[in-house]
Amino acid sequence: MLEAVIFFLLAGLAVAAGVAILLSTSIVRMAYWLITMLIAVGGLYFLLGAYFVGVIQILVYVGGVAVLLVFGVMLTSRQLAPKLRPGRGEVVWLALVGFVLLEALTLSILHTRWQQNAMAPANSVGEIGRSLLGEFLGPFELVSVLLLVAMLGAAYLARPKVPTQGPQHAKGTTVP
Amino acid sequence: MMGLTPYLILSAILLVLGIAIVISKRNAIAMLIGVEFILNAATLNLVAFSRHGIGGLSGQTAALFVIVLAAAEAVVALAIFLNFYHTIATVDIDQGDQLKG
Repeated sequence: MLEAVIFFLLAGLAVAAGVAILLSTSIVRMAYWLITMLIAVGGLYFLLGAYFVGVIQILVYVGGVAVLLVFGVMLTSRQLAPKLRPGRGEVVWLALVGFVLLEALTLSILHTRWQQNAMAPANSVGEIGRSLLGEFLGPFELVSVLLLVAMLGAAYLARPKVPTQGPQHAKGTTVP
Repeated sequence: MMGLTPYLILSAILLVLGIAIVISKRNAIAMLIGVEFILNAATLNLVAFSRHGIGGLSGQTAALFVIVLAAAEAVVALAIFLNFYHTIATVDIDQGDQLKG
């Protein structure tokens, strides 16, 4: 009973955050609602007994990705407000597509006989670590290489431009 | 005792909300927020199946991979958007038509 109450509280918070983002026109408020949704989903992980994934969700998403997004907002936002609202025709199409997709997904979920296991799996950080370095060793190494590539790629893309001697940069490079 | 179905339906709602955000917003960073919604819906599915399904802990491990990939995606996408902003002084994706795609 308590589990159901907490579930509906967190689920309502996540869905409300999504609707608020959809209706909002201010990019900073969108980032705030994104953080709300991430914390609510992290709470759902705790409710599901996946404590380690919940902690990682809070650490990486709320502490990393959301702060990064806020930085992106601060670095790029300039007179964007009139561009943010979609037209009336777009809203109608969007509601239609969203409704059909949601209906199809919900019907297929409700009409499937899921193979359920009432017992929670043996859950500890050690078990997850053994799973990462045993069964999932290949993906683990691939992901670590991918993180390195993403870090180098982001540093390369976001580096300050070195002024070159081309004619299009002639105004910026006043070499004495 | 709650089963699998509420989590799957919540995940479907979050997925549709994310798709709607990606489609309706013109700001590139708002689109990135929608992508985060979609990835969170997928992760919620994985963790719910790990608890109530028969896969054991594999679902939680896969959820960790999804979180790592989402972080890498956000970093590279924001670097691209910053370059975009420096080039044409906006993050309105409708303006990014230099490639004539």
